[in-house]
Amino acid sequence: MTLTELYDEIARCNRCGFCQVACPIFRSTGHEAGVARGRVALLRALIEKRIDWSNDLEEPLFACLLCGSCTANCFPKVATADLIIAARQEYLDTVGRSGAHRLLFTRLLPYPERLRLAAKTVALSQKSRLPKLARALGLLRIFGRDFPRSLDILDDFPLRAFRERFEPGILPGYGHGLSIAYFVGCGQDIMVPDSAERSLDLLRGQAETVRILPNVCCGLPARAYGDLRAARDLARQNLEILFRYEFDVVVSDCSSCASCLKKYPELFEPGDPGHSMATYLAERTRDILQLFPEAERLEDLPDARRTATYHDPCHASRGQGLVKEPRKLLKSLPGLEYRELPEADWCCGGPGSYALGHYDLSRSVLERKIANIEKTGAEVVYTSCPACLIQLRYGLKLFSLPVQAEHIAQAIPAAASAAPAAQSLY
Amino acid sequence: MPETFLSELQTAVGKQNVATAATDTEVYAYDASLARGSPGIVVFPADTGEVAAVVRAARRAQVPFVPRGFGTNLSGGSISAPDGLVICLSRLNRILAINPKRRTALVQPGVTNLELQNALAKEGFFYAPDPASQKVATLGGNVGENSGGPRCVKYGVTKNHVLGLQCVLEDGDILQTGGETFDFAGLDLTAVLIGSEGTLGIVTEAIVKILPLPESLVTLLAVYDDVSHAASSVAQITGGGIQPSALEMMDAPVMRAVEESYPCGYPLDAAAVLIIEVEGPLAGLRTQADRIKEICRLNGCRSIDEARDAEQRDQLWAGRRGAFGAVARLAPNYLVADCTVPRTELPRALAQVADIAGEHGLEHGNVFHAGDGNLHPLLFFDSRDTDQLARVKQAGWKIMEACAALGGTITGEHGVGLEKLEAMRMVFSEEDLAVQRAVRNAFAGKGLLNPGKVIPEPANGPAQASAAKPEIEPTEGTGFAPMDAIEACQAVSWAHSQGKSLFPCCSGSSVTSLQQTDQVLQLSSTNLSGIVDYDPPNQVITVQAGLKLESLQKTLGQHCQWLPLRPGRFSSSSLGGLVASNDGGPERLRYGSLRDLVLGMSWIDAHGSQLRAGGRVLKNVAGYDLTRLMVGSAGSLGFITQVTLKVTALPEATRSVNAEGSLETIAAASSRLLISRLEPTLVVAIQMSSSTDLWRLTVGAEGFTETVDVQMDGIKELLEQSGLQPGEVCEYPYLTGPDLSPGNSCPDRSRGLRADVPLDRLADLAARVRRELELTDIELDFGCGRLLAGLDHLTQEQSQSLESLVRSHEGCMRLVEALPGSPASFARSETDEATAKALMRRIKQALDSDRLFAPEVPFGLASTHDEVPA
Repeated sequence: MTLTELYDEIARCNRCGFCQVACPIFRSTGHEAGVARGRVALLRALIEKRIDWSNDLEEPLFACLLCGSCTANCFPKVATADLIIAARQEYLDTVGRSGAHRLLFTRLLPYPERLRLAAKTVALSQKSRLPKLARALGLLRIFGRDFPRSLDILDDFPLRAFRERFEPGILPGYGHGLSIAYFVGCGQDIMVPDSAERSLDLLRGQAETVRILPNVCCGLPARAYGDLRAARDLARQNLEILFRYEFDVVVSDCSSCASCLKKYPELFEPGDPGHSMATYLAERTRDILQLFPEAERLEDLPDARRTATYHDPCHASRGQGLVKEPRKLLKSLPGLEYRELPEADWCCGGPGSYALGHYDLSRSVLERKIANIEKTGAEVVYTSCPACLIQLRYGLKLFSLPVQAEHIAQAIPAAASAAPAAQSLY
Repeated sequence: MPETFLSELQTAVGKQNVATAATDTEVYAYDASLARGSPGIVVFPADTGEVAAVVRAARRAQVPFVPRGFGTNLSGGSISAPDGLVICLSRLNRILAINPKRRTALVQPGVTNLELQNALAKEGFFYAPDPASQKVATLGGNVGENSGGPRCVKYGVTKNHVLGLQCVLEDGDILQTGGETFDFAGLDLTAVLIGSEGTLGIVTEAIVKILPLPESLVTLLAVYDDVSHAASSVAQITGGGIQPSALEMMDAPVMRAVEESYPCGYPLDAAAVLIIEVEGPLAGLRTQADRIKEICRLNGCRSIDEARDAEQRDQLWAGRRGAFGAVARLAPNYLVADCTVPRTELPRALAQVADIAGEHGLEHGNVFHAGDGNLHPLLFFDSRDTDQLARVKQAGWKIMEACAALGGTITGEHGVGLEKLEAMRMVFSEEDLAVQRAVRNAFAGKGLLNPGKVIPEPANGPAQASAAKPEIEPTEGTGFAPMDAIEACQAVSWAHSQGKSLFPCCSGSSVTSLQQTDQVLQLSSTNLSGIVDYDPPNQVITVQAGLKLESLQKTLGQHCQWLPLRPGRFSSSSLGGLVASNDGGPERLRYGSLRDLVLGMSWIDAHGSQLRAGGRVLKNVAGYDLTRLMVGSAGSLGFITQVTLKVTALPEATRSVNAEGSLETIAAASSRLLISRLEPTLVVAIQMSSSTDLWRLTVGAEGFTETVDVQMDGIKELLEQSGLQPGEVCEYPYLTGPDLSPGNSCPDRSRGLRADVPLDRLADLAARVRRELELTDIELDFGCGRLLAGLDHLTQEQSQSLESLVRSHEGCMRLVEALPGSPASFARSETDEATAKALMRRIKQALDSDRLFAPEVPFGLASTHDEVPA
C-alpha cells in the first residue's frame, strides 16, 4: 500500500509517547526520529507535504529494527513496523536503492549455491588475511559504510554449508504419523550448520519422514528492506519449490523464516494464484518452538547441569506469539536451571542485514542485551533465530562474557529426539 | 540566524549532536499536545556545561530556545518558537546518587520517572510523584510542570518532594537552589522554578526527597452505574480522615478503549469506576479499606472488590496509565482539560463538562485524579477536521470557565504552556500577571527562554502608569494597624509617597528584628484576624494574616480538624508571622512544613495593589508559585493579608515513647527508624545535661489508633535492638505535641540557633557544636535534619565559626534574635551561593525596588554596601 492509503492508520498516533519505553534504538540515541512516534510523524509529514522524499529519510526509515516493541506498548496498536516497510518501499521507488542491496536480493538470495560460494569466499579469506586487505582497499564499502566493521561479526564462517553435508531430499524419521518439510533458512544453512543438524535430528524424532527442502531465501531481508518486489519473487520461487512435494507441515528452526513464511499471503494480491498457495503454506508452517517433545519424555535423560537463560527473537515473540513454548521446554529439562532474562524480548540489534548499515546502533542495542545476560549469571543463552544467535555470539565475545550462545534445539540432548512432539500439529 | 551560530553550537556539543535537517526539526515540532511549532535547530548537550554553552550561544545570536525531555508535555510547553533552538536533554540521563540515609536522590533531568522509581525500589524506597506518563515522562519535565500523579492525593506534588535544583539561567549562569536539607536559607527559588514550565531556567540536576516504601497496600475497584454516585463518593472518602494513596476515576468510554487495547479487568457495562488504594503500615489498612467499602456502598456503588494479587493490581494500573493512549481507538486525537475543582463540586463539574461537550457536538470521556478534584475530560476528535478542531477548543475554554467558577483552577498539573495562556485571566487579575512577569524578568529574562508561554502578554499594551492611590496616615508611635485590606493598601501608598519603609508585625511581635523609627514603621495585622472562608468537607480554610494560630486551631477543632503545625516557642504567633518565617516543629516529617500547607495567599505589594497567588486546591500549576516565594520571605516582598491553608482531620491517636542514651546510640537508632517502614511522625532528641553525653530521644506516631498501637510496638522493638531502653508509651496533646522540655522551648534565651543539615550529618554537627561552642539546650530533630539551640552570647567570631561549621556539614543556618518582651524574630538567613543571592536581589528589586518592605532583612536582599553586620 502507498503511504497515502495508510493515512488513517498513521493518523491514529496521538503522540502519547509510550513507544519510547521499549524501543532499543530510542534508548540508545534519545532522538525522536529513532522511535515510532517520530517515524510515524515523518510519514504523516510526507503525506501532508511538509517534507519531501530525500536522503535525510534514510536514517529514520532504515535504522528501525522492525522489532515491534513499539506496537506492543502502543494502546491503539499503530503497526509501525508495517508502516515502515511500506515507507521503505516507497523510498526505494522514489529516492532510489543501493546497488549492493539490489545485488544481494536478485543475484544472491535466489541462488543458494551462489550464496554458499560467496560465504565460502568470505570464510576462506577470513582464514587468510584477505579481509584486512580488502578493507584497506575500501572494497567492502560497496555494501555500505559499516560493512567492513560488521564483517567482524561473522567470525567463524564454516566451510561446509548444511545442505552440502545433507543433500536436499527425503530422510526417514524415528517417529510416526507426520511428514515434515524442513525449510532451511540461509542462516542455518550457511552460518550455523551445526545447529541445523541438531534441529534435523529433533525433527526426525517427531516425524515419519523429513524432507530437506531445496528452498531459497525466505525473502525476509528483502521484505524488511522494503523491496517488496524482490520479496515476492523469492516467495514465488519458494512456493513453486514447495508445491512439488507432499507434506503435513513445513517447519523452520529459524523464527525469522517461520514468521516470514506465515506472512507470505500479505505479499500477494488476492487475485494472484500465489495468494492461495501462500495461504495454504502459511497455515501449515510451524516454528520449531511449536514442536518440542513432551516434558515427561525427558525425564530419564542424563543430567548435564547448566544454568541457562533465553532471548526471545522478535520474530518469535511478537512475530508469532511464541513466548511460553521455549520457556516451558527449558524449565522442563532436567539438569537445566532456567533463569529469566531481564528485557528478554528486547531486540538484540542484529536483524539480518541491519548491522551491515547501522553498526553503531546495532552495537549499542547489543550492549544492553549482553549486560542483561550478564545479570542472570547463566552459562548459556538459548534462542531460536540464527541471526540472533550470531549477534549474541558476537556480543559475548566483544564484551568478553564467558557465556555460550546456542540454538534452543541444542538444549535437548540427542536421546530425547526420539520423543514425539508435545502438541498436536493439526 | 547568524552563520556563526551553527558552528558555535557544533563546537559546544559536537557536530553529530546538532540536527538541522527537515526530518529532524519535523520530529521536534510537536509534543503530546495539539500544538505545533517549527524549530530551526535541535541540539543534544551531554552535561550542564554544554547546556550553558549552548544557552550562551543562543543568547548571543538572539535565538529563542526551549528545553525538552521526551516531549510528553500536554499543554504545548515544549513547542519551539519559529526557527527556535530545541535543547533536548535526553543525554543527561543518569541517576547520580541515591542516599537512603538522607532520604534524598540526585538525578539528571533526562531520567524517566519510572527509571527512578525502579532504581529506588531496589533500595526499598520510592519517589512520591508518579504521573500516569511515568514510563516516558522525564524528571526534568516533572519539575517543569510540577507534575502530580495518582499518589499525590496522599503525598503531594513534585514541589513537595524536590529539595534543590541546579539549572542554567537564560544568561548562561548556573544556579544552585536548595540542597539536601529540608529547609534552606533565603527565598524559595526552588519552588518558583518548579512548575515554571521551562521559562525561568533549564534544570540540569535535581535533588529529590525519597521515602521508604510502605509496608503494605490494598487496591479496591468500585463499580458504579451512575457517574454522579462515583463522584459523590470521593469527597466522603477523603473527608473521613482516610488518606487514600490513590483515588482515580474512569468512565465508560475510556474503559472501553482500554479494554480493547489490553484486557485489564475493567467492566464494560458500568458507567464509572473508582480505583482506590490505601497504603502504609499493615495494621489498620484493613479497617480503612472496610470504611471505604462502606462509604462507596452508601453512595450506591454496584460492587467493590479488592485486587486479588500484585498481578491484578498491575493490570488495573496499566490500564489506567495507558488510558490517554488507548482513546486513540475511539478517535485519533483528544483535547484534555486539566481543571481542578474542590472535591465536593465533582458531581456538578462532571455534569457541566458533559453538557458542554454535548453542546459542541463532541464525544468525551473522563479519566482523572478524583481524589484531589483534578479532572481530565477528554474531548475526542480528528485534528484533520478543522471544524471539529475549532469546536473542541471552544469546549475546552468553556470547561475551564466552568471549573474556575466552581472555585477551582484552570490547570492542575499539565501546565499552562501555550494552550491555556489566555485562560490565565480566568484566575488572575492584570496586576497579578504583571507581578509574575516581573518575577520572570528577574530571572535574567530577555524573552529568549521559552517565550510566549505561561504568562499572557499585557492586555492593553505596556503597563499603564498607576493612578494616584488613596492614603491613610500612621498612628504616632505605633505605625499602622489597618482594619482591612483596603486600609493596608492605603498604608502602603502612604509609605510609598513619603519614601518611608514598613515592616510587618502582629501584636507587637515581628519576624524581623526591626524596631519602629521615623523611617521604618510598623504595619500590623492585629486587626486582620478573621476567618474568611472555612470549607470543612474540602479541608481548606482561608484566614486573615493576623489570626493567631491558637485561635485557628480552636475553630478547626470544632470540626475535628487541625492545621498540622507545632511551632513550639512560636505558637502564639499569627498565621502571617508563621508563614513569613516558615517556622514549625518535628511533625514536619509527616505533615510537611508551611510551604506544603499553604495553598494560596493574598498580599499587598510595594505599589499598594492587592495581589493573589495560588488558590484553594492543592493541584494548581497556573502561573509561577509566588505563594511559596512569599512563605519564609520574612515580610520583605509584601504584606500578607490572607492565607489559604490545607487542613486535615484530627489524628485519632498521638503517642510517643522516650529512651535515653549517648548521642551516638540515639543517632544510630534514629537513622534506623527513618529507613524503616514504621513511618514515625516525629523523631527528636533533647540534650539532658550540658556536662554529660546524655540525650533523650522521643519518637512519636500519629493517626488511626489501630495503626499507631502497632507502630509504637515496632518503634519500641527497634529502639531495644539499638541498645536503648524505651519507657512507657504515652499520649500527648495533638496541639502541642510531646513535652520536649527542657529543650529549646524556654523563652529566656536571647538568641537561638537553627541549623538545617542533611539527615546523616546532624549527629556530628551536634557533637561539634557542643564541644567547640559550648551550646546548651540543644534539640535535634532527626526526622528533618534540624538542630535548635539556645545561646546567651554570641561574638562575631563565634558566629562565623558556627556558620562555617554548619556549612562544612552541607547545611545552612539561621540565628534567631529574641527582642526583650518579644517571643521571636529572626535575624539572618543567607545563602552563600552567589548566583542565587544575586537572583534573590533581583527578585526583591523587581517586586520592591524602593525597598519599602522590611528594608533591613538581610537575606542578601540588600545591596552590598548596605549589608547588615552580624
